[in-house]
Amino acid sequence: MSSYPFKSALKSLAKEKWINILSVLTVGSSLLIITLAVFFLYNLGLIANHLPERFSMMAYLKDSLSREETQAIMASLKKRPEIAGVSYISREEALLELKQALRDSSHLLEGLDENPLTPSIELKLRKEFVTPSTTSRISEELMKIPGIDSIYYGERTAEAIDLLKQSVQNISLIIFATISLGVVFVTYSTVKILFYRKKDEIEILKLLGATGGFIRAPFVIEGGIIGLLGGILGILGAFVFYFAVTYRLSMLIPMLKTLLFPVGVLIALPFVGLILGVIGSTIAIGRIRL
Amino acid sequence: MIAFENVSKFYGYNPVLKNITFHIEKGEMAFITGPSGAGKSTLLKLMYMAELPDEGEIIINDDHLSSLNMPQIPLLRRKIGVVFQDFKLLNNVTIFDNVALALHIRRLSAKEVRSLASEALKKVSLRHLADSYPQSLSGGEQQRIAIARAIVGRPLILLADEPTGNLDPDTSLDILTLFQDLNYQGTTILIATHNRELLGKTVKRILKLEGGSFAGEEIG
Repeated sequence: MSSYPFKSALKSLAKEKWINILSVLTVGSSLLIITLAVFFLYNLGLIANHLPERFSMMAYLKDSLSREETQAIMASLKKRPEIAGVSYISREEALLELKQALRDSSHLLEGLDENPLTPSIELKLRKEFVTPSTTSRISEELMKIPGIDSIYYGERTAEAIDLLKQSVQNISLIIFATISLGVVFVTYSTVKILFYRKKDEIEILKLLGATGGFIRAPFVIEGGIIGLLGGILGILGAFVFYFAVTYRLSMLIPMLKTLLFPVGVLIALPFVGLILGVIGSTIAIGRIRL
Repeated sequence: MIAFENVSKFYGYNPVLKNITFHIEKGEMAFITGPSGAGKSTLLKLMYMAELPDEGEIIINDDHLSSLNMPQIPLLRRKIGVVFQDFKLLNNVTIFDNVALALHIRRLSAKEVRSLASEALKKVSLRHLADSYPQSLSGGEQQRIAIARAIVGRPLILLADEPTGNLDPDTSLDILTLFQDLNYQGTTILIATHNRELLGKTVKRILKLEGGSFAGEEIG
């Protein structure tokens, strides 16, 4: 491939430096906003992903069950694909837990002649099954097992975890789509202006026998370079932000130290800029009539 | 090499060219003459498809222009070197780059571009001005740069629109001699001019246009 389109694009970048610098700054700050949004949502997502690990269902057993029957139920539960782990809680252990939970108010239990609690099995679900519909289905199925008296699980918790995960995904998509459109529009406008400024030059190129691709190439390259430089600028901005948050701000708010930065996003940033720049400039030039 | 068959062109309801028919053979050099507004420039523009005819057919080197599709237009234009009336040089690039542009369009290698552009500048005796910019040159020099750019791609046909307009008689004669040399080397040349003095210095076919119509031909 001839180096002419690249040289022509680089010359244009240098010649029209102000409009190009402004575009790079705008693209850079837009991509930085994407990065910060990703940073925030990534950490929120991590939290949301860990929440299901704490989620559990309680299967309360009938008093009359023998040791063998209880073990048989536990063995059948372990085989289910949704269940990550089961643990048996005896009546005595349940009472102990209740006493610990009540602590200062444990005198409430003093009048009890016998332990009113029933033995239970705590079920930990695999992450992917902690959704309102699955937990409800599992609960219904477990109720059909003879020996299980009742099922308790935090319906609301499952719903909240699910909603949080969905929201993080949706917000990520909306922010990415909106700001990407903004970046496309910035490169579109810049390249459109440059295209109009070079109208006479383009007319000459056409008359000399240039193809649409030959005319288009330098503009697309220029748009791509604007996006690429914007992406690199975004990385620099993100680094400044990250160090400011984890080093400076974490002195005041230690929790910030635990935040993680998605490095993959940083590496992808210049490529995202490049692709958005190419899209913007390609739309700006459109079809060239020869 | 060039054939016009009953070609007409209108701007709105205004006819610019009416029922034009003529043929130019391969290797021929001919002139189109006529007063301003006779349709000379439009006739040339029809050949490199900057304008399209409303009626009739134009054939350039066996290509029927009416049947060419968009991707074929650049290929046609590369067969035709055009010296535009207003030169159409790029003022922000050097003389060398102006000439080289026609070669970049043909996607030649950097080495070929350097060698052919230098050769073309040598033909118009302006190699020493390769690094200058068009605006620093005289009208005659700019004209010769435009010729160098038109011939650098070794076109089959060379079209020149008023190539001696506003030039002094000596420079005009230099340019005519340059065209004759190119013609001897086999390029088919068609020159639109109203410069009677120039026509008097050559023995070539002269096609006359008047008010957009063909008004006969003569040997100059």
